[in-house]
Amino acid sequence: MNSHRLPTWLLVGLVLIAMAIVVRPGASYSRQNRDQLLTDASARHPAGTDALGRDRLERVSAALLLSLTGALAAAAVTTAAAAGVGTLAAFAGGAVGWMVMLVCDVFLALPWLFLLMMVRSALPLNTSPGHSAAITFLVLAALGWPACARAVYQGACDLKNSEWMLQARAAGLRRPQVVRHVVPNLLPLLLPQFLVCVPAFVMAEANLGALGLGIGEPLPSWGGDAARAR
Amino acid sequence: MTRRVCLHDVSVAAVLAILATTVIVKCAAQAAPRLPGELAWILGYDPKTFDPAKVDDIDSETVRYLTGGVLLRINRLTQKVEPRLAQSWNLSPDGKIIVFKMRPGLRFSDGSSLTSRDAAWSIRRVLLPATAAPVADEFVNPGGVRVETPDPATVIVHLPQRVIGIAKVFDEIAIEPADRPSEGRVTSGPFVVADYLRSQYVRLRRNPDYWENGSNGVSIPYASGVRLDIVNNPEQEIRLFLRGEYDLIDHISPDYFELLRKKAPSTVRDLGPSLNTEQMWFNQSPAAPLPAWERSWFQQRAFRVAVSEAIHRDDLARIAYQGHATPAYSFISPANRIWYNQNLSAPHTDITAARAALARAGFRWVGSRLEDAAGHPVRFSILTNAGNAARQKMATLIQQDLAALGMEVNVVALDFPALVERLMHSQDYEACLLGLENVDPEPNAMMNVWLSSSPNHQWNPSEKIPATPWEAEIDHDMNLQATSLADTVRRQAIDRVQQIVADQQPFIYLVYPNVLVAVSPRIEGVEPAVLEPELIWNVEQLRLGSSR
Repeated sequence: MNSHRLPTWLLVGLVLIAMAIVVRPGASYSRQNRDQLLTDASARHPAGTDALGRDRLERVSAALLLSLTGALAAAAVTTAAAAGVGTLAAFAGGAVGWMVMLVCDVFLALPWLFLLMMVRSALPLNTSPGHSAAITFLVLAALGWPACARAVYQGACDLKNSEWMLQARAAGLRRPQVVRHVVPNLLPLLLPQFLVCVPAFVMAEANLGALGLGIGEPLPSWGGDAARAR
Repeated sequence: MTRRVCLHDVSVAAVLAILATTVIVKCAAQAAPRLPGELAWILGYDPKTFDPAKVDDIDSETVRYLTGGVLLRINRLTQKVEPRLAQSWNLSPDGKIIVFKMRPGLRFSDGSSLTSRDAAWSIRRVLLPATAAPVADEFVNPGGVRVETPDPATVIVHLPQRVIGIAKVFDEIAIEPADRPSEGRVTSGPFVVADYLRSQYVRLRRNPDYWENGSNGVSIPYASGVRLDIVNNPEQEIRLFLRGEYDLIDHISPDYFELLRKKAPSTVRDLGPSLNTEQMWFNQSPAAPLPAWERSWFQQRAFRVAVSEAIHRDDLARIAYQGHATPAYSFISPANRIWYNQNLSAPHTDITAARAALARAGFRWVGSRLEDAAGHPVRFSILTNAGNAARQKMATLIQQDLAALGMEVNVVALDFPALVERLMHSQDYEACLLGLENVDPEPNAMMNVWLSSSPNHQWNPSEKIPATPWEAEIDHDMNLQATSLADTVRRQAIDRVQQIVADQQPFIYLVYPNVLVAVSPRIEGVEPAVLEPELIWNVEQLRLGSSR
């Protein structure tokens, strides 16, 4: 096994273990056992229980799955949005390109944490915890694209000015055909951007949770559980 | 390469310089050495003012308490009024005239004599609109108050109308030298402001001319002074307390209390329930943007009582407060010795009774899910403030308690401004879990919560006329206790209000958080009380023991 594949396999292994823990019969990340608070590791609770008597291992596993799924989805949305915006700005050029990048810079300058708090406080209160988690990650995606778009814009500009592109355009390639060739050439840039977004979103959700503003109970969240454990 | 190395060195030097500056600044905050016989504890923030008439924050209040001489003082232990600079006092039968007789031979800390003229001047000063003294509001109509001094030992205060608990107001008026306000530098209280370094410390020294003598004839206060470090960091406070830098800590959270108990078990004390309450309530306001069927649940007594009966308050106290809270059933805590109704009949945990009450009110179960008569699933959210771990734990515990009734509850934590916006303006919420801090045991201080016309009548604010007969009854009884001259009538009225609230459950009381404090074993004379300031209310008697 190549050493650079090791982290991937570790992650896959972790996810599989977490899934096995969460779906095993009788598992419940939300069941409170009020007579078993903050217990040490035991055969029944291999990682002990939290302050409300819930199994820590089940909660951490469920939080891992929830957090990773949400972050992967949000990163995909962000990367797709960034690819669209960056390519548009690079190939439209002129005033349109300038305006698009200006919007991008404005978004970059926004204090995302306060924006997240504002959006969260504006949500309907009876949103279920599952929907609230989905919305949290959607908001993270909506706010996370500008930095990625800047990188894509630079890559798209380089492509636009590359020799093969000039030759293709000189040969009469139309704009939709150009874009069809641009996207595969941007993949080496988009993939790292996507991978960078995933841990960033996991951390952002954990930060929100630590402030008590993350995913609603009884859904587990790393940040929320960390805040309760303080 | 050489240039890169130089830049690197400069960066390292800059980082070291910043670190060194930080360390020096941090150390400077504790640089003031402890003087012999000096007590020390912390203030959370700089006092906003040293002018005793303008005190409006807890830290300034602490300094005023330590430096201000007052005519009357509430004994925090007995909760009764005691004369201080006044030798005696008398309230006329109609409650409109108060006569104070001053002690003979009183002096300020600069040696000048203190007479009725100084007392009258200090009272008039807090009444002046230009002073903007927060305590003036407690006179209800401060503009109509007259103060007379027929002789150097007598002060007569004429009130335009009776004020409930007027004696307590004089606990907050520091007597200063007439025409010479000094911001705590010349006082008639036990201590005098000696030194203040912004963001670092306030140092007080003993008033050599303090009027009171100790039981053994020794002049008091016993302590030579007080150093109040300005520290807003509980971890640092606890660390320095354990190192002996500080002598006492009040208002400890349950988590830190347990931490301290492990490290220094002899220092911590759980004083039992405070006057504060934690409660939840349902939004019954007609102005709330809620579906009519949902509001109708919240307006049904049976629904509120069933929710109350489903909540395991013992678990809330044991789990959310680590045992440092007391289950609550009334807005008056058992710590309020004078007004607590011991014969109160309130709904206690009883799931069977809760289910029966809901069934009688037309609710039914489809599988394990509760629905109303029209088939709407009973689902609502409980709002609380983010950052308060105990409240969030309570909400999560209640979520599971109510699941036993088939109710689906969402717990939503919002930052405080967003929460207040929903509570006070948009009223866009279903249920809320919050606390109420009560510093005054006098129930009249809660008029703003109980009168139906009040904007702080949280479950249905600013009613033009009482929405229900029981709210009209509360209005009547609260007004009766505010105007009656007979203590028994007041007592009966407050007892009735407590019973109505227990019957109707507009607020579902959850717990009274306990008062948690820590006192160094070196300190003698401490008599902890649940009323603020819990540990220093008898500061004159506090002293460092001989072991120091």
